Amino acid sequence: MSLVLRDLQRAVPLRRAPLRGRLQALRSVLGVRRFDLGVVCVDNERMRRVNRLYRRKDVPTDVLAFPFHENLKAGEIPQPEFPDDYNLGDIFLGVEYIFQQCKEDEDYYDILTVTATHGLCHLLGFTHSTEAEWQKMYQKEKQVLEELSRRTGTRLQPLSRGHF
Amino acid sequence: MLQLLRSVPRALGSAVAGLRAAAPSQPLRQLLQPAFRPCARPFGLLSVRTGSVQLPGLLQPRGPCACGCGCGRLHTEGDKAFVDFLSDEIKEEKKIQKYKSLPKMSGGWDLEVNGTEAKLVRKIAGEKITVTFNINNSIPPPYDGEEEPSQGQKVEEQEPELTSTPNFVVEVIKDGSKKALVLDCHYPEDEVGQEEEDQSDIFSIKEVSFQPTEESDWKDTNYTLNTDSLDWALYDHLMDFLADRGVDNTFADELVELSTALEHREYITFLEDLKGFVKSQ
Repeated sequence: MSLVLRDLQRAVPLRRAPLRGRLQALRSVLGVRRFDLGVVCVDNERMRRVNRLYRRKDVPTDVLAFPFHENLKAGEIPQPEFPDDYNLGDIFLGVEYIFQQCKEDEDYYDILTVTATHGLCHLLGFTHSTEAEWQKMYQKEKQVLEELSRRTGTRLQPLSRGHF
Repeated sequence: MLQLLRSVPRALGSAVAGLRAAAPSQPLRQLLQPAFRPCARPFGLLSVRTGSVQLPGLLQPRGPCACGCGCGRLHTEGDKAFVDFLSDEIKEEKKIQKYKSLPKMSGGWDLEVNGTEAKLVRKIAGEKITVTFNINNSIPPPYDGEEEPSQGQKVEEQEPELTSTPNFVVEVIKDGSKKALVLDCHYPEDEVGQEEEDQSDIFSIKEVSFQPTEESDWKDTNYTLNTDSLDWALYDHLMDFLADRGVDNTFADELVELSTALEHREYITFLEDLKGFVKSQ
């Protein structure tokens, strides 16, 4: 199924092919390639608008996830009855926000990958409202990124690290 | 503006009907399809000017030169009203003109304008990149939302700013090559003024083809790749290819500004030409 990538911003000169490659690798590791996924790259202004609209927070952020299947148990892979339901949902990547947060010694596309991993975990039912939930999410991200590192030779750390 | 020009034929139609009676051999001019423009004057004002009391005068022009200038050309009362209206419209359009001169594109592009067609050219590392677009029919229709305007809000304030989003063709020629890689690019077809969060790319590639550099005519027999059902990874590589040559989201946004400014300039020039033509003294 499709990975639909959209770049709605001009704040950061984004290269679509390398980002797609990494996102496809993530989908493989998570075992969700048969599901449609939307990834929308936005600037701070649009991210702030979306954050305000859906979470009542008038600030930009790094990632927002809009799951197609709500109320999934953490890590549960959906088992849809209909072909149209093979959809995980959409991730909004705040590429400008991430670029601004990116440290000098960090690879921007590595950080995008880590952030997308966090977003994907949200689409699969993971949350981090409590410490227990956060631990579970952190472990999942760590597992995914370790597998990704094995396949691609990168060394990536979960976004959830230090978030609770 | 479309509403206003729709009203004009009624006034002109009445005058023309009278002319038909006077000179039946004169053919009717086909009405032009106007660009969408916010009305400087409300729709009703023209009707008031050509009100029913004066209608008989409009229907029955007193001869080829009703204004008495003696030039022998047709000057009806309707023409005079039309010229007066155009004078006001030109004044208003110049007032709201955002750019008095065409905005510059960043990235070192040279601009050539030939009427309604514009060419942006850039040479970089053994390659020549040309972006061509035409401002004719480049303004999408304004969004006609179902919601009524909120209480107290004037209709004019709700009209979105008209922008020109032309299709544009990118040609990439490598030095010494006899063929150009040609990419036909479009802006999304979402209607201007839509409130809902739009999730389309700023621009998209629709078709890709190789064309010979030495021939000006398009070769239909050359394979044309349509991106509608294209592998997404290949599509992303094509977009990155363009971005590396300066055709990226920033370029696409700036091109809208340039095209809008050019279209507005051409529109004002057209109104001035129309005024001169109708006045014809």
